[in-house]
Amino acid sequence: MTVEPPPATAEVKACCAAAYSRDAVALVLGESYHPGGRALTRRLASTLGLRPGWRVVDVASGPGTTARLLAAEYGVTVDGVELGESTVERARSAADEAGLSSRVRFHRGDAERLPLADAIAEAVVCECAFCTFPDKAVAAAEFARVLRPGGRAGITDVTVEDGLPEELRTMAAWVACIADARPAAQYSDILTNAGLVIVSIEEHDGAIARMIEQIEARLTVLRMSAAGSLAAAGVDLDAVMRYTALARQAVADGLIGYRMLVARKPM
Amino acid sequence: MAGPVAGVEPWRRSMGVGSVGERDAAHPLDLAAWTREVLVTGESRVVGDGRPAAAGKRERDEVFVEYTKSICPVCKVVVDAQVNIRGNKVYLRKRCWEHGWFEALVYGDAQAYLASARFNKPGTIPLTFQTEVHNGCPSDCGLCPEHKQHACLGIIEVNTNCNLDCPICFADSGHQPDGYAITPEHCERMLDAFVASEGEAEVVMFSGGEPTIHKNILGFIDAAQARPIRSVTLNTNGIRLATDKAFAAALGERNSRQGRSVNIYLQFDGLDERTHREIRGRDLRQAKLRALDNCAGAGLTVTLAAAVERGVNEHELGDIIEFGLAHPAVRSVAFQPVTHSGRHRQFDPLTRLTNSDVIELIAAQRPGWFREGDFFPVPCCFPACRSITYLLTEGTAGQPDFGVVPIPRLIQVEDYLDYVSNRIVPDFAVREALEKLWSASAFMGTVTTEEKLSAAAGALNCADACGVNLPEAVASLTQRAFMIVVQDFQDPYTLNVKQLMKCCVEEITPDGRLIPFCAYNSVGYREQVREQMSGVKVADVVPNATELQPLLAESPYGSKIARSRQQAGNGQRTIDATNVGRRAVLPTGQPQEGRP
Repeated sequence: MTVEPPPATAEVKACCAAAYSRDAVALVLGESYHPGGRALTRRLASTLGLRPGWRVVDVASGPGTTARLLAAEYGVTVDGVELGESTVERARSAADEAGLSSRVRFHRGDAERLPLADAIAEAVVCECAFCTFPDKAVAAAEFARVLRPGGRAGITDVTVEDGLPEELRTMAAWVACIADARPAAQYSDILTNAGLVIVSIEEHDGAIARMIEQIEARLTVLRMSAAGSLAAAGVDLDAVMRYTALARQAVADGLIGYRMLVARKPM
Repeated sequence: MAGPVAGVEPWRRSMGVGSVGERDAAHPLDLAAWTREVLVTGESRVVGDGRPAAAGKRERDEVFVEYTKSICPVCKVVVDAQVNIRGNKVYLRKRCWEHGWFEALVYGDAQAYLASARFNKPGTIPLTFQTEVHNGCPSDCGLCPEHKQHACLGIIEVNTNCNLDCPICFADSGHQPDGYAITPEHCERMLDAFVASEGEAEVVMFSGGEPTIHKNILGFIDAAQARPIRSVTLNTNGIRLATDKAFAAALGERNSRQGRSVNIYLQFDGLDERTHREIRGRDLRQAKLRALDNCAGAGLTVTLAAAVERGVNEHELGDIIEFGLAHPAVRSVAFQPVTHSGRHRQFDPLTRLTNSDVIELIAAQRPGWFREGDFFPVPCCFPACRSITYLLTEGTAGQPDFGVVPIPRLIQVEDYLDYVSNRIVPDFAVREALEKLWSASAFMGTVTTEEKLSAAAGALNCADACGVNLPEAVASLTQRAFMIVVQDFQDPYTLNVKQLMKCCVEEITPDGRLIPFCAYNSVGYREQVREQMSGVKVADVVPNATELQPLLAESPYGSKIARSRQQAGNGQRTIDATNVGRRAVLPTGQPQEGRP
């Protein structure tokens, strides 16, 4: 959720008057937010079987929240890769403050051209970002390239099945996270085509339902406390809330979901 | 009241045990012998669903999750107990040598019960202990050095007299000629004991009886405010507040003194006339409204405290919240499943209300406002004992402009209060704020709670969205925040020593002890203190459970006691003795001692 958003659309602009470098979800929930929160990060880490001393690549590492958690709780070394220069800087200073800078490094780079050597990592993680990569096949190939034989890649991401209501599809861009999300089956195909072997797929739709609930909660707080300034900025909160209600229904209907996939690089 | 739940029957059948009541009816004078035959000789034991054992091994119908201690609800002898999960519900089961098997529902949602274990905060050691460890929990209260937590909330019961005689009263209070009232000297000693234990104490609650009819109640509040105790809560039925504006004003004056607060904990069980008659014996609706208006007039903050009983007022939870949200004096609601100690209606321990049941009812009655996940367990006590949520609100409840947001939808509470998973915490200042908010010491209207609500807004680390800073926006809204507490106090059926050992709500006794509230009500301390203070013999109160009816007689105060000395038991021995005082396995050649 922290990589560059897809090309801004009129809808995105209509949603929030100011042109921000982050997507609408980050605006509302904070840029280190991802569905499932720390609990799902820990679930991913334990499914990957992280061991102290392992080297882990965090693709689209954002402000480094996950990188610090993995280093502190699992004793691993983390290479975070993040597109935004200023985000990388903030991630570095946060790791410094946490006394983790010897084990958590951040690199400015693109998921489709990871600035890392071949076969250096026991694990790759990518949380709620894969769906935003324009060329997913290339990104998956990069995951496979930096993994050692036997290493594992774990992604958590939004899934969007066919049949999403038209109204939601055209507005999907306002939540960059689901802009280019794919049906669940496609993610495993992409990883498989990159030469990885799927180990496990878990459904975590509750995480995306809770995210929508949190977005609605924050929008409601904005309406309670700052309705005037929002209106002045040209934000139609009621319109936004209509979309969150549609999104909530789509989750209930199984059209929008959340999956955790773990794949292994063959020995 | 319903009989035993169908899903609960199998264990009784498998143990060859009927309910106590059935058994007593069949063998009124030979209860102990009957029990001994079944449990010790095993001759009457039937395995599984009654088929002979030769048919093969069978699965138990429950998951065994805890081994603990409890008491016999009849004779109060300490017994071993087991916690088991059946059909996603949590039950505590125990056996008394004399009175047989007892089982009670302790949590209606086993998933939530197990998940709550993560919200268990390491306890804080109080500055002093008032007793020594001698016989073990729950016989050494307290607090003894084995107690795992300090006192978040101290309760001083100033009298046993009350201007009501409610059919439901865990304190067994009323218009009684043989009760007691504490003196100013008692009160000073009790407050000093609390301060000696806490240093700087957060909250003292004056209760009773009915504390507002004690002639020295304002002096007691002054005595508390003269000590390092941050706030006072007055637990009242509201009758005096409804009629005596000068009294409300006197409390209001004390509410603004030097950053100290006086808050009102108003008994308020519902809006239906029937609820009032069933629980209070009188229609008090007008009195409650006048009390609330007088509180608003005096600038007092009120918590509506509702005793919730199955079949009486469980349908009114949403209405109570909505009523509270709309009244200017009310900032919180506390729902307490009726504690089956003291006086209460006849009940079935297997279908009693628990915290998760109350939370489910709230979510079902106001689905637009709540879901079950909005409530989080309180980490300072045992997390299964209490759950809390906070709301931010805007507008007037019932009006179209009304908005409500549960704070846990804004802040990932589990990132801060999960003490098992979280080795790194996003922000310790936010954790500290949430710890104070999710605490037995949290009362709306106190300086601490207001400060911590603002501080918790710091967790909303998002960018300035559309020119609005969300943490600041939330901080401005916290002045209208509303708190909902769900607290299931233990009774002689549900008592689990594991929870008692970490209890942070303590009754302060006139002799300067701090006794965990549920121990005070359930194991015999209330009777002991009343007897000491009044000089009148007080019999052990026995729960008014359906299955115990043949054993029960009425006490002078309206509660139930054992019908005879024989029924009460000798209170001496139990077949389950945890600390047997000898090696687990005796050396070869030494005869194994027989069990009692």
